[in-house]
Amino acid sequence: MHSRLLIATLVLGLLPAASQAHHAFASSFDVNLPLELHGTVTRVELINPHSWIHIDVVNDEGVTESWRIEGGSPNALFRNGITKNSIPVGSELIITGYGARDGTLRAVGANITFADGRPVFFGGTKAPEE
Amino acid sequence: MTSFTVRAAGLALVLVSLHAGAQDEAIPRTGNGKPDFQGYWSMTTVTPFERPVSLGDKAFFTPEEFAAFEAERLEVEETVQGTQADVHYGFDDYGLHPSQNVRATNLRTSIIYEPANGRLPDMTPEAAAMRAEKQAWYAEHATDSAKNRMLQERCIVWPHNGPPMLPTGYNNNAKVIQTADHLVFMQEMMQDPRIIPLDGRDPVAASIGQWYGHSVGQWDGDTLVVTTTNFTGLTGRQIPTFSTDAVVTERFTLESPETILYQFTVEDPATFVSHWSGEFRMQKTTGPMFEYACHEGNYGIVDVLSAARAAEQETP
Repeated sequence: MHSRLLIATLVLGLLPAASQAHHAFASSFDVNLPLELHGTVTRVELINPHSWIHIDVVNDEGVTESWRIEGGSPNALFRNGITKNSIPVGSELIITGYGARDGTLRAVGANITFADGRPVFFGGTKAPEE
Repeated sequence: MTSFTVRAAGLALVLVSLHAGAQDEAIPRTGNGKPDFQGYWSMTTVTPFERPVSLGDKAFFTPEEFAAFEAERLEVEETVQGTQADVHYGFDDYGLHPSQNVRATNLRTSIIYEPANGRLPDMTPEAAAMRAEKQAWYAEHATDSAKNRMLQERCIVWPHNGPPMLPTGYNNNAKVIQTADHLVFMQEMMQDPRIIPLDGRDPVAASIGQWYGHSVGQWDGDTLVVTTTNFTGLTGRQIPTFSTDAVVTERFTLESPETILYQFTVEDPATFVSHWSGEFRMQKTTGPMFEYACHEGNYGIVDVLSAARAAEQETP
């Protein structure tokens, strides 16, 4: 569960609502593939149009899988002093979200926390100080 | 579910700059005496592009009505697991929610103020037919090729770029650079600067279409008036697009060191049965902006097409 952006669909009117996130998430990820991943950060890409967090996940068979998790544009993060170093490589994360329609090891991270429950980035606890 | 709404309300008190009384402040000026627009500006607003039909011709809120409206618009709606709306990241997790960004107050009930109902005028029959045709085509071929995807997804043009330059849900900041003969709008979202010559040069040939059109600016007292032609026929409101003959006139007025009144009129008789006008305020903010560099990181378009190919495999 996450915050929804009400204003955007009104501004752009005729455009598909999902295009507000730069591309259509529903075209890429499947609501019928909910998942929860526990993994270790291997790389963080705070890039536009969307951020990606790469994690290693040990699956039920004990095999390590490399997943990439899609997130939001990082511009506001940078303005508030948050960089990729805010999620150090080796951090343990818990991600709930949805898997990819094409079956590859990627997901959209609807909710991301550190293993101890702390939210990643703003996560409803850190406010910008502009 | 979250304490975010409470936090957002507190932030609003800190971040929102009320416009009242601002006109009396001295404005900064450049060396040649013109209003100095340079700096970082936020276009974030809670004002809808079109007015809700229920408000009819009511053009302005009272301050009390606006406060209630704003509080409602900034309230964070939590999505429900297992719904399409939940297939997304959280905007507030990334500081992208409007309540987390600097914004100016606009008592208007919509950005559009003309026509009087605050809504886009009807399309011409030809434009309406074109829209229907494009929508039908898009429904059939949207994932055939990267080139079939919308311009936003292809990292080419977003509404921020305009003209008219319009806010969307996030990344609504812009950097302005100004010299005696040029003004440059560098929007946070998309990578191309909008360069507006102010030196009275001859326009480019009408046959040369440009993504942001061709803009020329001139001073009307302390207001910068920018006229834009040479649209490509591919931009505007995406569907319908502006025609190649559209003319957009923008007026930039520095009301105070902290606010720009931004007004615009779109004249496109091939697309709309009448012209339409709008306005909102830009609020001074702080930089720097992070380079958008959209193409370099645009994995999403590959992923969308990959998902479409996978679906084709499942449905012979």
